[in-house]
Amino acid sequence: MSAIQTEHEPQTLNLKRIKATDLATSGSLSDRLVRWGKKLLLSDYFILIVSIIAYVIAAQFFDRLARPLNMTNQLSNMWPLFAVAIGQTFVLIIAGIDLAQGATIALASVVGAMIMAENLNPDMFDKLPFWGSILTENGGLLAGSPIATPVAVIGMLVSGLLVGLIVGTLITRFNITPFIASLVGFIFFSYFALWLTQSRNISGLPESFVNLGDSGELISVYFGPKLDPEIRRRDILAVVTASTVITLGLAFFAGYLLNRTIFGKHMIAIGTNPRAAEISGVPTRRVITLVYMFSGLCAAVGAILYTARLEIGQPTLGGLNLLLDIIGSCVIGGSSLFGGKGSIKGTFFGVVFFVLLGNILDAAQMSPFVIDAVKGLFILIAALLDYTRTRLVRVEQST
Amino acid sequence: MTILFETRSLTKSFFGITAVNNISLEVEEGKILGLIGQNGAGKSTLMNLIGGVHQPDSGQMLLADKAYTPRNPADAKQAGIAFIHQELNLFTNLTIAENIFIDGFPTRRIGPIRFIDRGQLKRETASILEWVGLDVPADTVIETMSPGERQLAEIAKALYFDARIIIFDEPTTSLTARETERLFEIMRQLRDTGKAVIYISHILKDIAAISDSIAVMRDGVLMAQESAESFTIDRMINLMVGRKLEQLYPPKTAQSEPDTLLQVKNVSAKGLVKDIDLSLRGGEILGLFGLMGSGRTELARIIFGLDQFDAGEIYVEGKRRTANSIRNSIKNRIAFVTENRREEGLLMNVSIADNTTLVSLPQFANDLTLYVNQQALSDAAQQASQILQLKSGDITTQAAKALSGGNQQKVVIAKWLLNEPMIFIMDEPTRGVDVGAKYEIYTIIDQLAAIGSGVLFISSEIEELIGMCDRILVMSQGEVVGEFTRSEFDEERILRAAFREGEEKPHAAVK
Amino acid sequence: MRRLSESRLFNFIINNSTGILFVVILAFFALTAQNFFSLDNALSIIKNASFIGVLAVGMTFVLLTAGIDLSVGSNMYLSAVVAGLLMRQFDIPVWMGLLTALSIGGLYGLFNGFCVVVLRIVPFMVTLATLVMGRGIGTFLTQSEQVDLPERVNEFGQLRLLGIPMPVIVFLIVLLIAIYILRYTPLGRQMYAVGNDPDAAKKAGVNTDRVIWSVYVISGIAAGLVGFVLASQVMRVDRSFGESYELDAIAAAVIGGTSLFGGVGSALGAVFGAILLQMVEAGLVFRSVNLYLQPMVKALVIFIAVFFDGIRTANIAQQRRRYIRNDLDDTDAPVSSASLPEPKPVSES
Repeated sequence: MSAIQTEHEPQTLNLKRIKATDLATSGSLSDRLVRWGKKLLLSDYFILIVSIIAYVIAAQFFDRLARPLNMTNQLSNMWPLFAVAIGQTFVLIIAGIDLAQGATIALASVVGAMIMAENLNPDMFDKLPFWGSILTENGGLLAGSPIATPVAVIGMLVSGLLVGLIVGTLITRFNITPFIASLVGFIFFSYFALWLTQSRNISGLPESFVNLGDSGELISVYFGPKLDPEIRRRDILAVVTASTVITLGLAFFAGYLLNRTIFGKHMIAIGTNPRAAEISGVPTRRVITLVYMFSGLCAAVGAILYTARLEIGQPTLGGLNLLLDIIGSCVIGGSSLFGGKGSIKGTFFGVVFFVLLGNILDAAQMSPFVIDAVKGLFILIAALLDYTRTRLVRVEQST
Repeated sequence: MTILFETRSLTKSFFGITAVNNISLEVEEGKILGLIGQNGAGKSTLMNLIGGVHQPDSGQMLLADKAYTPRNPADAKQAGIAFIHQELNLFTNLTIAENIFIDGFPTRRIGPIRFIDRGQLKRETASILEWVGLDVPADTVIETMSPGERQLAEIAKALYFDARIIIFDEPTTSLTARETERLFEIMRQLRDTGKAVIYISHILKDIAAISDSIAVMRDGVLMAQESAESFTIDRMINLMVGRKLEQLYPPKTAQSEPDTLLQVKNVSAKGLVKDIDLSLRGGEILGLFGLMGSGRTELARIIFGLDQFDAGEIYVEGKRRTANSIRNSIKNRIAFVTENRREEGLLMNVSIADNTTLVSLPQFANDLTLYVNQQALSDAAQQASQILQLKSGDITTQAAKALSGGNQQKVVIAKWLLNEPMIFIMDEPTRGVDVGAKYEIYTIIDQLAAIGSGVLFISSEIEELIGMCDRILVMSQGEVVGEFTRSEFDEERILRAAFREGEEKPHAAVK
Repeated sequence: MRRLSESRLFNFIINNSTGILFVVILAFFALTAQNFFSLDNALSIIKNASFIGVLAVGMTFVLLTAGIDLSVGSNMYLSAVVAGLLMRQFDIPVWMGLLTALSIGGLYGLFNGFCVVVLRIVPFMVTLATLVMGRGIGTFLTQSEQVDLPERVNEFGQLRLLGIPMPVIVFLIVLLIAIYILRYTPLGRQMYAVGNDPDAAKKAGVNTDRVIWSVYVISGIAAGLVGFVLASQVMRVDRSFGESYELDAIAAAVIGGTSLFGGVGSALGAVFGAILLQMVEAGLVFRSVNLYLQPMVKALVIFIAVFFDGIRTANIAQQRRRYIRNDLDDTDAPVSSASLPEPKPVSES
């Protein structure tokens, strides 16, 4: 088939012209609707458009949705998930999968808290493995020190990189499939985080760290009428926060890596055909390991944002359930589990979809369990849509 | 003569392109019909229509004078049409017997429970295997069999039910000469028992040798169907390409230079190759002939750094290779066109431009920021594709998989060309490429040598090596067993050396 | 490395790595933990392994076709919840409760199969989605409350035959059925074929849709069965019932030699893997290792088992390449084939 197409190039062109005139003349409404629908379905922005339309419609029924506070809340829900999903997108592009992200989030959260927590109640914490050395009644390793927050942040990022390095090494040096390698990583580090804190949450994080989350407001707006000279604190809405800047920074960096650099091209080559890539001199092992490290880094950034928001170091943060949201966002955003496909923009739209969907279901006052069930259903529908789209694209290309 | 099967004005188009155009073909009982044509001539589409994979747009098929309208492969099988495909459709994790009976195991009851009847399975399989001349137990797992044995197993699978028409679609690509001979014997036996055989091949000599009648296709049209005697090889080619090919090979323009680019000294890798000595000069095309499994691909992989060796030394431009790695080879400007385009050569879903620049990518990237200069990159790809006369759409958007076999091979060559290679290792560069594109690839090889590169040309087609090379080395069982200079080229002697049946001693190893 | 890979000892270790790992771990705990090496303990290990074991056997079917079933844990939960609610509300007999659990499990699998076969969604996404959905539906049905089972279920749970506890008997029956299906029925052999090459299977006339559909149903029924049997032991179904069992089931199947790429694996291997995992857990409990450290050790055991499996596969591939060559030598070169030992020794210089 393919041979025929290229050797008959003029015919193909001819055919296209005929088709174009067909389109111009055939003008029945239903035809145009079908065409319009197809175009929409194939557009990069399809998921975003669907999400927003659904949200706008739902807002007519549940006025909670349209409240500014709700909207800013949704924004802040998006950033940490997006940060983590960026890493997963990279992994999916090289035809891998990173189940360990859930564990990385927990580990990074705990490690950060162990470095900077400002006080710890001995009654609760004296059974911890590092009580008396790293952890004392005064708090974590660097409690109260001005460098506590930066060191903690670095510690969190490093733990993410380390988990990624280990998973990546299992894959590239020990020839273990990504699923099993990251599963081993997931089990190991989830329980490592639990062991470090014996399942306890660590509170008392310094203000400077908490400000990295949503409380670090950069641009805030006030909507209501200006009656009092004083505006109440809770009426001021944070639109741009530290987490916005951090996540967008990460996203632009990732987009640069993926679309503009040799690293991104190598990733796509590996995801499409690892053997051909290797023979062509692509340093496959190094790239794969680096991608898992980047995935760990993204998970750690997510951990920073989640931890700052919750104001506690939590060993059960992340976990397997978050995986549905993470991988779901990527897949809805156009990543393929078979590799070679995926974009940061698409993943962002996937995240928007997930967060808004959750918000709508929540506003409809469904129980969290029903929300889970519906979310699952939507993933199936999204995956189905993706299948339809790929088929449509294939048909379009071959005509 | 009885016509068992015929097509009448069969037509099939895909998205407006007519792949099979008004074809009326006749297949006789007790005869072998050779079917030839370039890639894309419509042979596979025609066979897919007969096999029920596709349905014709118009026209009809008659089987024993009755209308034959298969809706799927199972219908075709039911009607007594057996297919032996070029690519093997065997389950490597199952036994031969299970492969043969996968869609209908014999079963028996023990009490209320039904079991696969392994005894019967074995007996029936054994008789088929004996017939095709495959001397292994019926419960041999495919994984442990050689490519040739697998091909015979595939044939056994196609023949176990009583087919009336047997279609062989290029079955000899993975067979050794001996196995090919056995295959022809089977085909003759089938013919003699009154079956109809359709044999598709690119090897025109084989077609001429075995067919009773020959059909030639070009651009979806049946150019001729006549008895085999009325065809010469020249006429077949003439009909296939639509013009007379003055020459099969381009005139030689390259001159060997005195300096040695590559020297392999006593290289051994346990179980792969043994005591290999060879040298390659600039401007030289060195042929490497060997049968499947002779170690020629293994040697190429070792020279390129894909596999390691245990003993010996490799010198590139006079310098001894210390680290045998792919990246080192690329740095030393060695190129490797692998024998398997699909699996080792191309990123099928990726654009032609990105495929073309994959090897030389670091040249377009900033070391620090890793930023890739997209414009320079697509310019370079454009230039390379123009030099190689690539026939394609927009190279920055068209995916490699949308190209024909010959053009895909050009992309693989272009990919290495951008790295300005000194040493070009080409493993079966013309496999799966049609006659016209073959000539173009030969021209490229000649031009590479003309600009001073050394080419190591690996092939299992002696003719093309004789047509192209300055020297030919022959490998067998992992060793170099013969060397022939241009004046000594002789098909029979080379083949004899490859079989180690030489009455003459193999030439002394090259230093 | 090359020399090492040639030695007999190396080959022996590699080809029996999981067995050796089993013996080493067994010996370690037998020597260091008191009373570990006893018949009672062995029986209790097998009993505790039976839940993951049955799931792993079901998982093996799915993995054989290169699919995956992440939803078995939620399936267990949903099946047990529905059976439990029916038994409590309508007083249905235990056997009907069991039947209910099996049917719910089967339907669950049927839905997975529908999404994979008809909607053509990747199995990973399908079962990840149904993992979340199933638990959601279950919690909705129970309003997130624990379901306590009626006392008569306990009688069923404590049944013994010749002193063997009921879960072990169920385990054995499941194993036998699985071996029967995989080895002695056309459907079973077709599962191996589909996992090896789905396109070739289709061309060969195998009804691949039916095969794929059936593996998800089998895995689903196995999950329903485990849900019921486990519930009859603990007598209550709470929100976390069966959570993350899917991971242990996959791990057990993989330790037992099943490939995630399809076409390779066996029911016996899955059973073996499940018992190995359970033995590690029991041993760690015997040695009173910190609760949080136990899963970490388990993760290491999975890693070691899979690591050796990887070496073995690579080793086989390497040897096969040689085999092909030597074989051709035999057929093509009668002159020298006699003088060709296998594998061919090369001068050591």
